Amino acid sequence: MSVLEVDDVVVEFDTDAGRITAVDGVSLHLDTGETLGLVGESGCGKSTLARAIMQLVPMQRGSVRLEDTDLGSLSRRELRRMRHRIQMVFQDPRGSLDPRMNVSALIGEPLRVHGIGDRAERAREVAEAMELVGLPAAVADRLPSELSGGQQQRVGIARAIVTDPAVLVCDEPVSALDVSIQAQIINVLDELRDELSLAMLFIAHDLSVVRHLSDRVAVMYLGQIVETGTASEVFGQPRHPYTHGLISSVPRADAESAARLRTARRLVLGELPSLLDPPSGCRYRTRCPYATDQCAEAEPPPEPVGPADGLHAVRCHHWRTIVSAAPEPQESATSQELAI
Amino acid sequence: MALLEVEDLHVTFRTASGPVHAVDGVSFAMAPGASLGVVGESGSGKSVTARALLRLFSITDDVQISGAVHFDGQDLLRIDERRLRAVRGGQIGMIFQDPLTSLNPLMAVGEQIAESLRLHRGVSRSEAAAEAVELLARVGIADPEQRATELPSSFSGGMRQRVMISLAIACRPRMLIADEPTTALDVTVQAEILLLLDELRRSEGMALMLITHDFGVVAATCDDVQVMYAGKLVEKASMAHLFDRANHPYTEGLLRLVPRFEDAHTGRLHPIGGQPPITGGGGSSCAFAPRCSYAVDRCLTEVPPEVAVGPQHLSACWLAADRAKDATEAGRPWRRAQ
Ligand SMILES: Nc1ncnc2c1ncn2[C@@H]1O[C@H](COP(=O)(O)OP(=O)(O)OP(=O)(O)O)[C@@H](O)[C@H]1O
Ligand SMILES: Nc1ncnc2c1ncn2[C@@H]1O[C@H](COP(=O)(O)OP(=O)(O)O)[C@@H](O)[C@H]1O
Ligand code: SF4
Ligand code: SF4
Ligand SMILES: [Mg+2]
Ligand SMILES: [Mg+2]
Repeated sequence: MSVLEVDDVVVEFDTDAGRITAVDGVSLHLDTGETLGLVGESGCGKSTLARAIMQLVPMQRGSVRLEDTDLGSLSRRELRRMRHRIQMVFQDPRGSLDPRMNVSALIGEPLRVHGIGDRAERAREVAEAMELVGLPAAVADRLPSELSGGQQQRVGIARAIVTDPAVLVCDEPVSALDVSIQAQIINVLDELRDELSLAMLFIAHDLSVVRHLSDRVAVMYLGQIVETGTASEVFGQPRHPYTHGLISSVPRADAESAARLRTARRLVLGELPSLLDPPSGCRYRTRCPYATDQCAEAEPPPEPVGPADGLHAVRCHHWRTIVSAAPEPQESATSQELAI
Repeated sequence: MALLEVEDLHVTFRTASGPVHAVDGVSFAMAPGASLGVVGESGSGKSVTARALLRLFSITDDVQISGAVHFDGQDLLRIDERRLRAVRGGQIGMIFQDPLTSLNPLMAVGEQIAESLRLHRGVSRSEAAAEAVELLARVGIADPEQRATELPSSFSGGMRQRVMISLAIACRPRMLIADEPTTALDVTVQAEILLLLDELRRSEGMALMLITHDFGVVAATCDDVQVMYAGKLVEKASMAHLFDRANHPYTEGLLRLVPRFEDAHTGRLHPIGGQPPITGGGGSSCAFAPRCSYAVDRCLTEVPPEVAVGPQHLSACWLAADRAKDATEAGRPWRRAQ
C-alpha cells in the first residue's frame, strides 16, 4: 500500500521577471519501507516538490495524500496534527538547528510541539532516537556549534524520526558534508529505512549516492518527471536521452572516464533553458540531439517501458528508436577489480 | 626537465589554539603539460599546498613556509613580491571552487578579462577587448560579443566557471591550478568543464594540477594522482595504475568510501572511522595510525618513509616499506597481512 500519493502537483511562483512553473504536473507514490530517489539539475524543481509535499508552499493544482488523508483538505490545525507522520531532513545541518538549544532539547522539540508523551516518555524517545542515528549520549548537553558537521546532521535526522513518521523527505542531506562523513550519514539513513520501515523520498544531485540508496528513481527536468522506474531500470537501461546524458556525466574512477563524458556532452547540449520561457512540446528538445518537429509540437505523455503494469515509464516521443543510439562503454577489467 | 619541482614544503599556521602543520614535508614534480590530481579528505592540506606554491595567503594569516618551489628556473618562495605577481595569473593560472566570489559583480565580464590582459601583458585597450571576446569563445561561451558586455550575475554557474577559466588562461600560463573547480556544479556542467580543462591542457601544452575529493574527476582529467593526508603525500601513482593497485590503506579507504555508480546497492558503505587530525601533521608516527586497521606498533613510533611499490608508484606506509624489501611483492600488501 502506498503511504504517500502525489497526484498531478503544480507549483507556480511569481518572480520579478514573470510567472514560472517550478513543478509542472508531478505524480509519484511511495510504499512503506521504500526509497524513491529524485534527481535532476539544480533549479529543476526538486526542493519545490519536496516543499509542496510537506505543504510548505501552496499548490496551484493536484493533491498530496498521506496515509489516505488528503493533506490539502485539512485545516491548519489538522495539518499540524498530521505533521509528525511526515518529516524532513535538510541540506544544511547547522542552519536548520537553533544554536541556543542543546542536542536533547533539539531532538525533543518535535515531540513537545506535537504534544506527544509526557516528560519521561519524551526523554526515552529522545535517547532512543539518538541511539538510532549513532549519537553518543555524552553529546546530549552540547550546543550545535560544539558538534561536528556529521553530528549536526545526525541531530537533524534524529529530530525527523523521533515522532515516528511514516515518510521521511530528505533534501540533499549529504551534499554539504565531507566524503567520509557522507558515507556515515548514508549508512544511518540506510539502517533507519530498514529498522523503521520508513518510506523515503531522497533528493540528491550525486547519482551514485542515489543509486546506492534508492529502490526506485525519478528523473526531473524543468519541473516534470521525464523518466521513472526501478533504480536498475532507470540507471541500467535509461530510455530518456536526458537520463542517459545525466548518467554518462558521472565521472567514474576507471579508464573510460573521459570517453563517457564526451558521450554525455553529445546527449546534453547547451544550457538549461529558463523556466520563464520553457520550450514548447518536449521540455528537453532544446538540448536533445534526437529532437524532431514532432518534439516541438506535442508534449510527450508518460509511456510505459516494458510491461504496461511495470514501473518503468518515460516521456519521450522517440524512446523506442533511440534506445541503443549511444551504448554504454564496456566495463573494463580494471574497474571490476576495484569492486572486490 | 621538470616545470615545477616542490621540495620538502612545510606550511605552519600559528592559531589561537596552537600551531597547525597544514603541509608537512611535501615533495613532488610536474613536467610541462603534465596532469596531476590531488585527492584527500577535507582539511588534509590540498588547498594550502596549492596556495603555498604562489604564497597566496591573506595578511591576517600567521603563516610560516619553508622548503623550495622551483618553477621555470626560479624559487617561488624566494623571489620578490613584484616578480611573484607576474607569475600569479601570468605563468601560473588559478581557478577555485566558487566562481561567483572570485568575480567582480559590478564589472562586465569582458572588461574583467581585458583588465587582466592589460595588467599582465600590457596590451592596448582595444586589443584587450577583442582578445577577451576571443577567450570567451575559446572556453565555449555562445554569443561571446554580447556576453562580454554582461555582468556575472546574468551568467549560470557553469558559465561563470568558464569565465574564470578564460581569466586563468588569458596569459597562456604554463601551468593551471584548479582547486575543486566543479564541486559546486551540476554533473552535466561538471562534465563540460572537465572536458574543457582537458582540451585546454592538450591544446595549450599547459600543466594541470587539479584538487578534488573525487577519484572519478581525476580519472577523467589527470594522468597522475597523489593522495594527501594530514599534510603529507601518502601515495603517488599514475591514475591508470591506481585503479587496481592502490597501496596505501588511506587510499583504499577513500576508494571504498563512496558508492560507485556502476554498483547497485551492495550493502553498507565503509566509512573510515574517526577524523583527520585538526592540527595537521608534524608528529613522530604515521598520522593515519589512529584510523588504520592495519597499524602495527612501529606505526605509532616512527613516520613511515616513502617507498617505491611499483613503476612510478610511491607509498608512505610501513607495510609497503617492509614488503618493499621483497621486490616481487607489490600492491595491496595488507591483503596478505590480514
Ligand atoms: N588561514 C589558516 N589559518 C589556520 N589554519 C588554516 C588556515 N588555512 C587552512 N588551515 C588549516 O590547514 C589544514 C589544511 O587545510 P586545507 O584548506 O589545505 O584543506 P583541504 O585539503 O583543501 O580541504 P578541503 O577539501 O576542505 O578544501 C586544515 O587543518 C585547516 O584548518
Ligand atoms: N519561493 C520562491 N519564489 C520564486 N521562485 C522560486 C521559489 N522557490 C524556488 N523557486 C524557483 O523554482 C525553480 C525550482 O527551484 P528548486 O525547487 O529549488 O530546484 P532544485 O531543488 O531542483 O534545485 C527555480 O527556478 C527556483 O529559482
Ligand atoms: S521527445 Fe524529442 S526532444 Fe524530447 S527527449 Fe524525446 S527525442 Fe528528445
Ligand atoms: S604506516 Fe601503519 S598506520 Fe600508517 S597507513 Fe601504514 S599500516 Fe596504517
Ligand atoms: Mg534544491
Ligand atoms: Mg580545499
